[in-house]
Amino acid sequence: MIAALQRRWRHWQARRTPPVATLELDRRHIFIMPNRVGAAFVLTLLLMLLAAINYQNSLAYALVFLLGSVFVVAILHTFRNLAGLRVSGVAAGSVFVGEQARFVLRLESLHRAHQAVGAGWAPARMQRVDIDAGHVLELELDLPSERRGWLVAPRLCIDSSFPLGLLRAWTWVDPGQRVLVYPQPLEGELPSLAARLHDNEEEGLRAFGQGVDDYQGLKEYQPGDSWRRLHWKAWSRGGALLVKDFAEIKGRDLNLDFVALGGDVEQRLSRLCYWVLRLTREQQAFSLQLPGQAIATASGDPHCERCLRALALYGGGP
Amino acid sequence: MNPLAIPRVSLGWLLLAQALVMVPFWFELPLWLGALWLGCTVWRVQMFRMRAAVPGKVFKALMLLLTAAAVYLSSGRLLGLETAAALLVATFILKLLEMHSQRDARVLILLGFFCVVVAYLFDDSLPWALYSVLPVVALLTALIGLQQARVVARPLATLRVAAALLLQALPLMLLLFVFFPRLPPLWSLPAAQNQAQSGLSDDMSAADITELGQDPAVAFRVSFDTPLPPRSALYWRALTLDRYDGRRWSQAPSSSLRPVTAWQPQGPEWRYRVIQEPSGRPWMVALDVAQAPARDVRQSGDFALRRLRPISQVLGYSLSSWPQVPREPQALSDAQRRQALQLPASGDPRSRAWALALKAQYPQPQAMVQALLAHFHDQDYHYTLRPVALGSDAVDDFLFNSRRGFCAHFAGAMTYVLRAAGIPARVVAGYQGGELNTAGQFITVRQYDAHAWVEYWQPDVGWRSVDPTFAVAPQRIEVGLAQALAADEDFLADSPFSPLRYRNLAWLNDLRLGWDNLNYGWQRWVLGYQAEQQGAFLLAWFKGLAVYVLPVGGVLIMLVLALWLLKPWQRRIEPGLRHFQQFERLLARHGMRREPGEGPQAFADRAAAALPGQAEAIVRFAQAFVAQRYGGRGQSPVELAQHLSQLRTGLSRLPRIKTRE
Repeated sequence: MIAALQRRWRHWQARRTPPVATLELDRRHIFIMPNRVGAAFVLTLLLMLLAAINYQNSLAYALVFLLGSVFVVAILHTFRNLAGLRVSGVAAGSVFVGEQARFVLRLESLHRAHQAVGAGWAPARMQRVDIDAGHVLELELDLPSERRGWLVAPRLCIDSSFPLGLLRAWTWVDPGQRVLVYPQPLEGELPSLAARLHDNEEEGLRAFGQGVDDYQGLKEYQPGDSWRRLHWKAWSRGGALLVKDFAEIKGRDLNLDFVALGGDVEQRLSRLCYWVLRLTREQQAFSLQLPGQAIATASGDPHCERCLRALALYGGGP
Repeated sequence: MNPLAIPRVSLGWLLLAQALVMVPFWFELPLWLGALWLGCTVWRVQMFRMRAAVPGKVFKALMLLLTAAAVYLSSGRLLGLETAAALLVATFILKLLEMHSQRDARVLILLGFFCVVVAYLFDDSLPWALYSVLPVVALLTALIGLQQARVVARPLATLRVAAALLLQALPLMLLLFVFFPRLPPLWSLPAAQNQAQSGLSDDMSAADITELGQDPAVAFRVSFDTPLPPRSALYWRALTLDRYDGRRWSQAPSSSLRPVTAWQPQGPEWRYRVIQEPSGRPWMVALDVAQAPARDVRQSGDFALRRLRPISQVLGYSLSSWPQVPREPQALSDAQRRQALQLPASGDPRSRAWALALKAQYPQPQAMVQALLAHFHDQDYHYTLRPVALGSDAVDDFLFNSRRGFCAHFAGAMTYVLRAAGIPARVVAGYQGGELNTAGQFITVRQYDAHAWVEYWQPDVGWRSVDPTFAVAPQRIEVGLAQALAADEDFLADSPFSPLRYRNLAWLNDLRLGWDNLNYGWQRWVLGYQAEQQGAFLLAWFKGLAVYVLPVGGVLIMLVLALWLLKPWQRRIEPGLRHFQQFERLLARHGMRREPGEGPQAFADRAAAALPGQAEAIVRFAQAFVAQRYGGRGQSPVELAQHLSQLRTGLSRLPRIKTRE
């Protein structure tokens, strides 16, 4: 019964707040209800009213009426604190599985200052900010990315209980934001590559990725680098986050082939991801072969992105 | 920092609010509560500064038990308003030590509001009512201070938010106050004990009224709808005392329970409204025979008005009196007669003998009373607030030795003699006279106007009032107590600073009467605004429409407030445009004004030329603005704001140029 009611309530809320890129909050979107403190406040007022009645005390009546009126007026204030706020999503960057996906929310004040406005996925975990009149504020909201593919931001709650904290005004916003989550880069040997490396030793290619003998020096951390290679000592001294760089591949074009790899699908994709990143970093041209999809040999960031996208969306998600 | 912790400024507001809430209780509750409050406050501050440990569970439980025990021990009662209030205040104080999260702070604030109401039950005079605005504002500010907004860091800005809320709530509050229906009490609750200390009690020894003679507290105030009766007619009856045990006059239980015999209004009528101060006793005051005004008021057999519950709050009631109505002209019942002639079995032999001698001389009760009055008048009797102590035969001692006494002595002695002579008689306790406030046209009756006089009964005539004090000191009745006392007697010796002592200073007296007038208005229109007065007021002004005023008025007030707060007609300002307006204002302070029709780019170029030091910042802002507004490029307003703040810091180093608009 209650579950059904809750479902209907959510459904009704969803109907009132359809996904839109930019939403200007007004009375159609803002819900307002006393919160638990507000309920306790009303209860206290009732007790005070009882005292006023039983003691026939005019001043007690007056205080009850004053606080009751403050409560009613606070409804307007709390509503006003959200009304006229323009909420929009900002295009967000891609992340790798396991990283925190960052959704950027833009809060724009159209009329007046908005105080202690909270935004978040769940009412329990909200970020609170003030937005001055005519100002714009960009808010970063994190969401853990657990699977590759499109990570669609859930509906976002925007709330405020300013000024008294007795009433909560809230709205659900769905700016339709989504983030592409790439597979988690997994360090490992590529058999096809290794095989070719062995075959073509005379061409001057060296083995890579395994030994510490090939230590090349330090370079700045980039997403996809193995955490095991992080130079923690340097970082703990307050320096930049560095990774130990081991090997470098030079020479001819490479083909990253899904079929040639072992392991399950996700592991294969993760390893491919690692190699896509690594080869791009080393400005090496490569091609990518996925079942039913082939990306021709190229190099550079756009190529890398195309490959990663293909990996992320392979098979329509895991 | 934990977002649910209590910020410093908010803690400050909380402590201030608590201190303000506590102030009225210093006068009502045991003093050790004040010490407890100070201790807890200091501890809480030290806890915030990390200088003191957070009290453990066992310690807190122990504190609670100890405090509860101390409250019980110091009040000596388990039930009662004082005990309940002391417990509430103690909880309010101890909660301070247990206040860690915002939730605790909110509980504390709610307790604070309740404490303000409880303080009203002890004292609802005008000064305390005005004072109570302070704790209410502080509590509201503390509530706002718990918000995680930047404004909260500035105490004055928070205070302004609270004040604005209160002011905006005021119209609705007034509407509710006037129109919200007043209900009769749902159940009876213990009243404040301290208020029972002053005023008449239901037994009277002469010393009691002498004590009242030193008390300048107001007993009640009266305004007349009909012309003001002469001062000598203003005998405010409260209760009759018909039992004498040799020392004290008291009321026989049977006479207060006996229902009144039927009577019909006749003769002239006096209509008046009484605002009675809380006395902790059930009786009301009335002139002669008055009609019981409300359902919960009963007229007992002696024609006194008695409320079912004690008067623990200021009580207003309208009365009509008919001074010419005869009281019980038919023969008295045996029980009544016995009670009205009751005397101790023995004692005061001289008085009894004298009474019999008088009776022989004056067989008519009327003549006998006249003879007694003449005796008091002609012989060497004195009216004084400082009577000498009387011996075991008090009446004898007074009549034949000391001959110095207060109204109670004269009334008691006269009743005694009348009874000894076989004339049914009783002592009436009440008030006499009062001070006319000419500005407000009302009479203030104070405790020192307490008076005692005599009623005696004759067949066919009924009960008649007679005042022996009038025979001794007619000024007491005609002018008042202060004038009636001998020159060497110090009026209000116990209250040296009472303005009543300085009536001869004209300006001080005017001030005092003005203040009295204000208090009367407060009691009559605010404190006395209960069911009866509300009904009369609403009927007089709104007739049958009163029920509609509350909903319609409420909706109207909210509508106006909503329009005023939300300003839906206000053109909304694009963020970029707002920045440009700020940019213009900034430059205007340095003498640069945009000409009508001058474009932003041209204006910026001109300004840059005029303020070469800031040329770079000006041009940068203008370019960003133009790019955003006209270039269609999605320049973020954040960037505009940055440019603007750079320009502002640059310009702040330059001197301002004052220009007139």
